[in-house]
Amino acid sequence: PSWGGTALAVQRCRCPLALLFAGLLAPGAVSEFALAPSPDPASAGTPQAPNGTPFPESRLHVFTLDYPHVQIPFEITLWILLASLAKIGFHLYSKLPSIVPESCLLILVGLLLGGIIFGAEEKSPPVMKSDVFFLYLLPPIVLDAGYFMPTRLFFENFGTIFWYAVVGTLWNSIGIGISLFGICQIEIFGLTDITLLQSLLFGSLISAVDPVAVLAVFENIHVNEQLYILVFGESLLNDAITVVLYNLFKNFCQMHTIETIDIFAGIAKFFVVGIGGVLIGIFLGFVAAFTTRFTHKIRVIEPLFVFLYSYLSYVTAEMFHLSGIMAIIACAMTMNKYVEENVSQKSYTTIKYFMKMLSSVSETLIFIFMGVSTVGKNHEWNWAFVSFTLLFCLIWRALGVIVLTQIINKFRTIPLTFKDQFIIAYGGLRGAICFSLVFLLPVAVIPRKKLFITATIVVIFFTVFIQGITIRPLVEFLDVKRANKKQPAVSEEIYSRFFDHVKAGIEDVCGHWGHNFWKDKFKKFDNKFLRKLLIRENQPKSSIVSLYKKLEIKNAIEMAESGMISTAPSSASLNDYVEDKVRPLSPGEMDNIREILTKNLYQIRHRTMSYNRHSLAADASEKQAKEILIRHRHSLRESVKKSHSLSRHKEDNSKATRFLSLPKDTKLPEKLRIRNKTSFRVSDSSDSDLELATTVLNLKPRARKILRGQSQQQPLQQFRMEWRNEVEDHNGRGDRRETADQALSSIGYRQPLLPRPRFGTLSEENLTEDVRSTRPMPPPRLVRQASEAERCTNKSQINPY
Amino acid sequence: MGSSSSVPAEVQELAAKTGFTLEQIEHLHRRFKHISGDQPTIRKESFDRIPDLEFNPIRSKIVRAFFDRRNLRQAQGGLADEINFEDFLTIMSYFRPMEMNMDEEQLDCFRKEKLKFLFHMYDADNDGKISLQEYRKVVEELLSRNPHLEKESARSIADGAMMEAASICVGQMEPDQVYEGITFEDFLKMWQGSDIDTKMHVRFLNMETIAHCH
Repeated sequence: PSWGGTALAVQRCRCPLALLFAGLLAPGAVSEFALAPSPDPASAGTPQAPNGTPFPESRLHVFTLDYPHVQIPFEITLWILLASLAKIGFHLYSKLPSIVPESCLLILVGLLLGGIIFGAEEKSPPVMKSDVFFLYLLPPIVLDAGYFMPTRLFFENFGTIFWYAVVGTLWNSIGIGISLFGICQIEIFGLTDITLLQSLLFGSLISAVDPVAVLAVFENIHVNEQLYILVFGESLLNDAITVVLYNLFKNFCQMHTIETIDIFAGIAKFFVVGIGGVLIGIFLGFVAAFTTRFTHKIRVIEPLFVFLYSYLSYVTAEMFHLSGIMAIIACAMTMNKYVEENVSQKSYTTIKYFMKMLSSVSETLIFIFMGVSTVGKNHEWNWAFVSFTLLFCLIWRALGVIVLTQIINKFRTIPLTFKDQFIIAYGGLRGAICFSLVFLLPVAVIPRKKLFITATIVVIFFTVFIQGITIRPLVEFLDVKRANKKQPAVSEEIYSRFFDHVKAGIEDVCGHWGHNFWKDKFKKFDNKFLRKLLIRENQPKSSIVSLYKKLEIKNAIEMAESGMISTAPSSASLNDYVEDKVRPLSPGEMDNIREILTKNLYQIRHRTMSYNRHSLAADASEKQAKEILIRHRHSLRESVKKSHSLSRHKEDNSKATRFLSLPKDTKLPEKLRIRNKTSFRVSDSSDSDLELATTVLNLKPRARKILRGQSQQQPLQQFRMEWRNEVEDHNGRGDRRETADQALSSIGYRQPLLPRPRFGTLSEENLTEDVRSTRPMPPPRLVRQASEAERCTNKSQINPY
Repeated sequence: MGSSSSVPAEVQELAAKTGFTLEQIEHLHRRFKHISGDQPTIRKESFDRIPDLEFNPIRSKIVRAFFDRRNLRQAQGGLADEINFEDFLTIMSYFRPMEMNMDEEQLDCFRKEKLKFLFHMYDADNDGKISLQEYRKVVEELLSRNPHLEKESARSIADGAMMEAASICVGQMEPDQVYEGITFEDFLKMWQGSDIDTKMHVRFLNMETIAHCH
């Protein structure tokens, strides 16, 4: 009616501006107005058709506002935006996130919002629908966790994790259920109408340790990986048990009589749910790996497959009422190994970041929704019930952990100490899963649902707030072993591999089937069948080599990003190479590349991505990274040609970084351009070093391939290098000197030659003088010795690899 | 197997020396007999009787470790030609699990022993250091199962790792300083953070069931 009045007034004056104004002020009115079939009394003033046409005449509106049309996506976007802004807000206060886990802050924001909505509209704010939670918000988090799960550690501790998850959850649910029922029997509390089954049902849903909450809290406290994997693994695996128990008790509540057959069915169901979920996950994981085998022509959609297949496994499992969490975890873990090798580097990065982003958003939304949903009218407070629930949760968890650990310690190689047990017990946080499960309870079956809701919320808030906030000081107080965040180092990988083999060997000698036995068997099977089937270009992979390559790439990219390169080779030149095939480039192609590179060397770095929807040209920095790697490899060759030596290793990087630390507009001396006198040239000149005539060729930044490519080069010139070990000094054990030919003729490239050597000394011709003479102008401090720069770099990167 | 009174004195002596229990010694003895073909001693060739060992890339080093006099605590170096059961037990004792009732010092000692065993596997020429050559050899062996990997990559990996080791152990080096090799102390340093000692054992208690299968 009020809208009609305005329209009337507006129509009367026929002023377009007023119409505009009216249109803006009365959201939806205009559309409604336009759609209203019956003639509105307000339109009396307008000419009407004789037969009363349904659509009253209206002027054309310049602006319209049509909220209902976009309402849902609009609101979703606003929520997500709000969540993310809240996150930014917390992190601006640098001190806050270290004391209070983010989850708490988010819940508080949610509470605030809920309060506002409640106050404004006098009705309960939108409760997070369980469907939304289970189908949309939970999977990304679990996927992220599963994809990046440290598999080795997980499987080493699998027995323990499984034990805690299954037996522990059973223990907790039954314990809590029965003790709560006992409490309910006491007349005073007014809870006598709660039956045993109902309490058991409640017990089962409240004892589920929540992966989201565990992740949120443990993320900041950095306990050692072993402990983390135990708690986290438990929270994931207990989903199977929770699903079964919850559905079991719910059905029992609804059934009139319970026969023994039902109990057995319940037990059987557990196996079906758990194993079925895992099988679905593994199956789809393999299909995903297989699919990615063929995606090399259409790299852009590679990440999509990862997400689609994982989500598919989740919903398929949910469809059969199996454990969706276990399915998605199994899928992610299976997929991970093979997909990583099939997809390009970029896709891998995309997958990683997108996954992290999704899970972060989900987590934020979950907590905010929890806060929002708390406010409202669906509560019933009962002191006894709530406090005893909380009490029993804590007691049974602690008891459970202690008892179970005593038993499992007999089977563990590294027994769990009391500290570990404490953290495991304390880390049993409840979260959004219980929250959603409690909202899912059918009211018909559980008349006192509101009571349950209240109790659940109290428990969740307690665990998230109190336990979440205090766990960090406790960890420090108890001096729990923390995670050591070291950079992965090749030498460590070598040592662990070596050790694994030693252990496997000794076990074989003893005739003992240990962990390693099964691991070896699986590895053999894997190599023989799976890898051939699922990986596109399958070469037996060693973890050492892949780590080495990864670190190399990382180094190269870091160098490129730090601005060292001021060139952007054009897309054309590097598109020349086919990523996959190892083939030597013809001289014609080489010339072509050389020419183009030459022309482009001094351009300011810019992204020259030729974008076409089905393929992306390699990103500039990636190209540059490859460039660097190529140059790395070739610099030796070139320098040898011009009788120079070059360091190939990190020494390379350090030399490069020497240039790096030069002020930006340092002009590199002309000398550097001279053909014969160059050492490592990256930001360097034109024609001189492009004697890439020596092929490189295989621009693929994989050591092996580059190595192979280089093996097609002509043998390098003799290069005098002496590798002195202790020999010169202590003439003890014979000549360990390794001359250049040995080193170089074996297709040199990765010579650990050091201008300022760390290992032994190097006597080469011309190196030192040239390096010094071709040093760029600036800071003398940099000039003195490579080792200084090396030292600086070394300080910043402990393990340069 | 029989009451403790009928256990020969030598077995008890062995138990005392190596720290194994009587059952474990029994099992290991059976295994020893299997490997040696009922002979009193084992030679290097006897290890061919263990089919699974074939697939192990560092098989030769493992076998060699059994005959290494340093591990047998007999001498400072060199290889024995054959070993008897007592020596076999000595080698196996490096892989005993850590016991809860050991005190700090014993634990530390035990740990050092285990790491020394590993160190000896690297340090083939017994000069107390792992030189670059030896390291390279180790890496090559480790990667020997990959037919597509050239020697040079193995080499460069070894070199890189060696440099890391240098930077960890020696920190900043002078330009003319020579890094000779990884000494045992450096080796210890590198394993500092990891709980290698807890991982380095074989669970001897499960052997019974398996022995039947063999």
